[in-house]
Parts: sequence; structure tokens; C-alpha cells
Amino acid sequence: MIELLQNLIDGLGRGSIYALLALGVAVIFGVMHLLNFAHGELITVGGYAAYAASNQGWSWYVITPLIIVCAVGASLLIERIAFSRVRGASDFTLLLTSFGVHFVVSAIFLLYVSASVKTFSRPRWVTNTYSVGSLNIEVFDTVVIVVTVITLLATTWLLQRTMFGLALRGAAADFDTARLMGVKSDSVIRGAFALSGLLAGIAGVFWLMRSGSTTPSAGIDPMLSGVLAALIGGLGSLRGAVLGGFVLGLAEVLLRSRLPDGIAPLTDGVVFVLIALLFIFRPQGLITVAHAERV
Amino acid sequence: MFPKFDRDIAFPLLGSLILFGMLAGAGVVYQALFDGGAAERLITVMLIDAIIVLGIQVYVGNTGVLSFGHIGFGAIAGYTFAVLAITPEEKAKRIPDAPFGLADVDMSSTLAIIIAVVVACLAAVILGIGLARSGAQSGAVSATVITLALLFVTHEVSRNWPELTGGERVGLFFPIGGALDTRAPIYLALLGSLIVARLYAQSRSGRLAVAAREDNLAARAMGVNPLVQQMVALIISVAIVAVGASLSVYEDGSLLPENFFFDFTLLTLVMLIVGGRNSVTGAVLGVAVMTAGRELARRLGQDGFEILGIGLDGKPLDWIFRENLQTVFLGLSMLGFMIWRPKGLLDDWELDEWLRSRVRRNHPDPQPEPLPEVVADTTSVLHAEHIDVKFGGFKALADAGLHANGGEVVGIIGPNGAGKTTLVNVITGLVQPSAGEFFIDGDDVSKTQTYELARRGIVRTFQNLRLFGALTVRENVEVSSLIAQSHRIGRTIPDIDALIAEAGLWEHRDRRANALDYGNSRRLELARAAALAPSFLLLDEPTSGMSNSESLEMIEQVRHMAATVGAGVIVIDHDLGFITGISDRIYAFDQGAVIAVGTPEEIQANHRVQAAYLGSTAEA
Repeated sequence: MIELLQNLIDGLGRGSIYALLALGVAVIFGVMHLLNFAHGELITVGGYAAYAASNQGWSWYVITPLIIVCAVGASLLIERIAFSRVRGASDFTLLLTSFGVHFVVSAIFLLYVSASVKTFSRPRWVTNTYSVGSLNIEVFDTVVIVVTVITLLATTWLLQRTMFGLALRGAAADFDTARLMGVKSDSVIRGAFALSGLLAGIAGVFWLMRSGSTTPSAGIDPMLSGVLAALIGGLGSLRGAVLGGFVLGLAEVLLRSRLPDGIAPLTDGVVFVLIALLFIFRPQGLITVAHAERV
Repeated sequence: MFPKFDRDIAFPLLGSLILFGMLAGAGVVYQALFDGGAAERLITVMLIDAIIVLGIQVYVGNTGVLSFGHIGFGAIAGYTFAVLAITPEEKAKRIPDAPFGLADVDMSSTLAIIIAVVVACLAAVILGIGLARSGAQSGAVSATVITLALLFVTHEVSRNWPELTGGERVGLFFPIGGALDTRAPIYLALLGSLIVARLYAQSRSGRLAVAAREDNLAARAMGVNPLVQQMVALIISVAIVAVGASLSVYEDGSLLPENFFFDFTLLTLVMLIVGGRNSVTGAVLGVAVMTAGRELARRLGQDGFEILGIGLDGKPLDWIFRENLQTVFLGLSMLGFMIWRPKGLLDDWELDEWLRSRVRRNHPDPQPEPLPEVVADTTSVLHAEHIDVKFGGFKALADAGLHANGGEVVGIIGPNGAGKTTLVNVITGLVQPSAGEFFIDGDDVSKTQTYELARRGIVRTFQNLRLFGALTVRENVEVSSLIAQSHRIGRTIPDIDALIAEAGLWEHRDRRANALDYGNSRRLELARAAALAPSFLLLDEPTSGMSNSESLEMIEQVRHMAATVGAGVIVIDHDLGFITGISDRIYAFDQGAVIAVGTPEEIQANHRVQAAYLGSTAEA
């Protein structure tokens, strides 16, 4: 029982980061029908910013906002340079464009920094734990969960209570109609990329605090987690993306602690197989998004 | 089938040979220009890459589903091959604890390749089932993520199962001399891959897969089961990739998890899309262009601007010409092509088709004979009753029904939103009714799939035109004809060319469907449906958007087409004049229910119809 509770808390901590990443992926998918394989690059950019700042001896109080600003900036820049040129293109083109962006960004770091791992100092409290009864809780997980809840609440407020949120949800439900209703597609799409970058930035801060390092291809893992979580939840559903993130986090932690020793290193592989099974039995993901093809 | 021998077999074989000669020849010339081991290795790698890219093309090109997983299949094949083919002595050094007694296996490399292909194909079947369930179709996002997940699974397993794979640091290793000492197997595999890829594209399965790529729903409505064709394409494609991957491992002499991961996926996909993913010729061109470009970028990165003795002092351009430039080059190529030329250099242009069209110019097709009318099959019956359809809270159909006998023309009329199209969607399996059943010849087919219904003779056209855009007029009609040949046994299957001529499209026969004007597109849809030798032709607003004179012409054409294939007709329209002009019997719909049934005269005289239809409130 205690162990399960422990797993639950660990899983929520991990799932929080995935939820933020997945929400960022889902927001972009909503307005552009683009599955963003370059989403993880926002964290890579943040990682190199953290590396540079850390070399200057800056503290995490400065590095944290720096990572977020870099992620938002990179998100907007990528939209301007690449994605704005393929708006309305076929799904095939969109998928490969984001794949291409992923490679260009990581290749730039490969070219101008180096292929080797760059490490930076992590805040001291990241590894601290405290006890509640016989539970061992990481300070880090606590912070992650609290910040994620606040972020999600703020995002909900933004989406439900502001004009931008209404426009974004409208565009996600039916982009063409939203445009006919006078929603400015340019500003909604840019807003969506800014929001997506912001969410990736917050997730990135935690991701980088935990890893304490970055490489040119460091974006692959967060990208995959975000994309899979969004897909588990049901692509196109913002709520589903958050749910998918938590489900993925919990599944990983539970499997890692329950699988027999011989298979434990293959946890990620097992998670993928489970996801594949989920799709076989529930192809539309956890939350169904209604979309009908008119004939 | 025999007249198609040239198009589907002879010319593709010739084209494959020429492409093979060009790629291999380019390699030989390059090696003659740049002597040395590096040049030889570059060309060998190019030839192997070509095999793998051709394999990917078979799936991605013909189905339109973007796969990131083929390199994952490559990893499965590569490891299977390596674990089986490496000598037991060498395995004792690297993977002494290999499971299933694999450490002691001593096998010839030919047999190992065959087993690697089989294992990869088994994996393809499993993944294919998952893809089918996810609703894989052209551009499908979830299908792509599933293939990406496969790539990660194979990578994770190869990294974390060192007993079998040697893990990340040690890897697997062929002793020197184990590497290929001649290129013969590579040449053989390359030629084989070219031939298989071209013949598949021209085969029945390939044509049906391409039709589904162009319009999945229309293909299903013509009796194509896209999932079966996608599975066939996937297995053939994975088999080719498996051969290429095994050769690549053999040639490299070593195998690490990173070899078959993201970088190789990027490289092969860039090669495919730069040339043109829908064409085998394009795949080959892409391999050649990208190999050259990447090598140039690599050299520029390494040596600065000093190449072939010309160029600047490298200094001012140092910020571009540095190590790893080739990776940026690949990424930018993908991005650039996606933005400016998403269909690649060649789109779906094929060398052998071009050659054939050159040869054929001097031998024009003979104008086909007109088709005789056949005796209508009056025994078939379509019967639907008590059909309810709800969209959310909205009742689109309430207790609706329809009865049609073979050979008769039944009209369905009603104002917009009356439920006419919804009824046709129910009858063709595109919408599941919440209640009610319907029968063909007395068999309950309420739960039958769209493509099954089409094979039973219920064939439709679409209100908003759904042609296979990139296919020619003739190929559009051919898709239905292929289905008819295997599923409409016992019926007179009309000749494709004659049908095209009947539809007035003879001079457009080699044009792409998406280049036709509106009226011709409608006529092509009719011809495509008729080619299936249906029992019932369901026409959803065949005259929408047509002028009056065109509509009158269409009436004649529909009647004639139906008589030519002996089909009954169910036609929807809201044009009272058109429907009364064509129908033997008419169903009038309003607000989801049948309000009147009768002959055209009866319907025209019916007060409820007038009220519903003309919006008048003149109740008698």
C-alpha cells in the first residue's frame, strides 16, 4: 500500500512534466493539425541556454526565466521560419516539416557547440527528500506537481475566460469556421506557438533540473513523451493531453518498480508496447474527439 | 489482361534495368574518378541505401502513410542477421550468454539473410495490425506515431539487451574478412528491389493501394479494402528493407544500436522525398542526389572551401564549413523540400511510363466499340426499413425505408436536410444506423462494411466528387474494374476503354482526374461506378452544379450507363424536373422521413410533397 502510494507520487511528478509537454503538442495540433516532432527542441534550446548561463555562474533564479524565455522565443522563431510556410499543407508535409525542424535545430547545436554531453550545475534542493509517515517524497516532485497544477489552472483560465482562449478553442474545433467567424488565424497560431513554448519552457526547467545536462539530440526524449502522451489522451483534445501525460508518467513509474529485474531496463520498450495495445483496442485514444468526414 | 503486359510488366522491367544501370554506372564512374577505399565505400553504401530507400518507397509511396519505423524493421533484420551469421568463436567473445542457445549457432550468411527477412516480416504483420486498427490512411498522424514508437522500441531493446545485441558500447562485430568481398550480392539485391518495387506499383494490389492513398473513402466505396493492400505493401516493403539492412550490417562489419536509429531514418526519408516519394525513379534519383550532396557537404565541412584545388582560403567561411555540415545539409534539404517542393523532384514520374508513352505515340489506341446494353438483372432487390439515424440530438432519419428492384430507376427527392444523403450513407455502410435493417437479395447487410457492400453490387457516386486525383481517367476506372473482376463474378464486366468512351471521356483518357473540369469529373465518377458492374448505382446529386442542358444530357447518360451494365439506379436530387424525368418511382423525403412514394405523376400531384418541397403551406 505504502509502496503504491509512493509510486503514485513519483508517477504524478513525472506525469506532470509529460502533461505540460503534451498540452503544448495538443495546442499546436489544434490550430494547425501539425504534430510537432520538433517540440523537444524547445527544451534543447533551453538546455544550451542553461549551460551557457551556468558557465557564467548564474543562479537558477536567473536560469529558470531564461529557459522559459528561450523556449517561447524558439517556438515563435520556428513558427515564423518553417511552420508558417506550410500552413494548410497535407498532413504528410506537416509531419515531415516538423521532423526536419527537429533535425536542423539539433544539427545546429552539433555544428556550433559539440556532439558531446554538456553538463551544468543543478540546484541543490533537487535531490532532497522529506518524509511523511513512511513515505519518502522528493522536494523536486512536490515543486513539479504544485507548479504544474498552477500552470494548468492558469492555462484553463486563459482558454476559458479570454478572447484568445475562445479563439484558440474555436480554431481547434473547426479551423475554417473559426476563420470565417473572424478569428485572425495569424495571431491565433502565433499565440498558440507562444503558449506551447511557454508550457515547454516550464516543463523544460524541470526536465533540465533533473537531467543536469544536454546534447544536440536531447530533444528526442521529451518530444516522444509529449507526442505519445498527447496521442494516448486523444489527439486534438487538450484535456486528453493532460490526462495522457499523467497516465504515461504513472505507467512508467509503476512498470519500473514492478517489472522483474531482468526486464526492468526495457521499461520504455514495454511502455511502447502497452501504448500500441491501447491503440489496437482504442484507436482514438482515451478521450474521443468527434470529427466526421462529410460525404 | 494480356494487352496490359507492356505497361505492367515489360516496360517496368526495362525501366528497372535502365535505372539499375544508371545508378551502378554512376558509381563505377565515380570510383574511376576518385580512386581509393573511401570512394569505393561511398558507392557501396549508396547502393545499399538505395535498396533500403526503395523498400521504404513501396510502403510510403503507395499508401501515403509516413513511416518512421522502417529503420526499426532494419534493426530487427540487422540484429537477426548478425546474431545468426557471426561465427560462434566471435560470439563467444562478445555475447557468450546469448539467449535461446544463439551463441552456438553457425549459419551461412545467405540463410541468415533469409531468416532475417522472415523475422522482420513477422514483425511487420504485427505492426500492420496495429496500423490497421489505428485507421492508417494517407497522412494519418497516429499511424506515423505508431511507426515512430516501433523505431524507439527496437532502439531501446537493442541498447538494453546486451546479452543479445552487445549493447551500446560493445555492439556486434564481424571479423575482418567477414565483410563483403564482392559487390555481386548488393547488385543482385538492388536490381531485385527495383523490379519488385516497380512491379508492385503496377500490380493489382499496388493500384488499389494507390487509389486508397488518393481517397480512402472513395476507394472503400469502390470495393477496395485499403487495410489489406496496406498490409501487402508493408510486408513487401519490409522484406526489401530487411535485405538492405542485412547487407548493410555485413558490409559495415559491425553493429551498434545507433546505426539503425534517427540519423539513418532521416537520411533514408530525405533521399525518398527529395526524389519524389510516389515514384521508384524518384527514389533512385533521391539516393544519388543526396549521396552526392552529403558527400560534398562532408568534404566542405572537413576541408573548408578547398576542394578539387579550387576555392577560397577557408577562413572567412569558417562559420559554415565545419565538421558535421552534412547533418545540417540533410535537415535543411528535408525542410526546404517540404516547404517548396513537397512532392520531390519527380513527383510520380516514372522512367518506364515515359518510355512507353514515347513508343506509343506512333501507335494510337483504336477507338473502342460501343458497348451493347445487357439485360438488366431484375432479380436483385434492395430493401431498407425502419432506419433511424441520430447525430447527437438531431434525428437525421426517423423510420425511413426504401425498396428498389433491379433494373428500375428509383428517385429520392426532398429539400436540403431531408436525410437523402444520410440514407445513401446508411445503404453504403458509411453511417451506422441506430435502428433498422436493410437487405440485399434478402440477406441482412445492416452491419456490413462499405467495401463489402460495394462488392455485393451497391456502388455510389459522391455529391462532392471524390476521384482518385493523381490517377488518370483510365486508371480511375480501372480500379473499379479490378474489383469487379475478382468480386462481381457471373456479371458482364464492361470493357474499361469502351466505358470511358461511352462517358464521353475518350480523348481525356490519359489525363489526371484532378485536371478534369467539373462536368467531366461527374461523368468520370459515373463511369468509375459503372465499371464495377453494380446491381444498384446510387447517384448522389449527379447534376449538382450543372447547367440545364448538361442535366438533360446527364439523364440520358445515367439511363444508358445503367442499361449498359444492367444495373438498377437510385438517384438523389432536389431538382424535381431531373428526378421526374429519370425515375420510374419516386420517394419523397422530408425531415428524415418518407412522406410519399409513387410514380412521378403521383408525386407531382401529392399535396404533402408540394407543401414540403415548395415550402407552400397550401394544405388541401
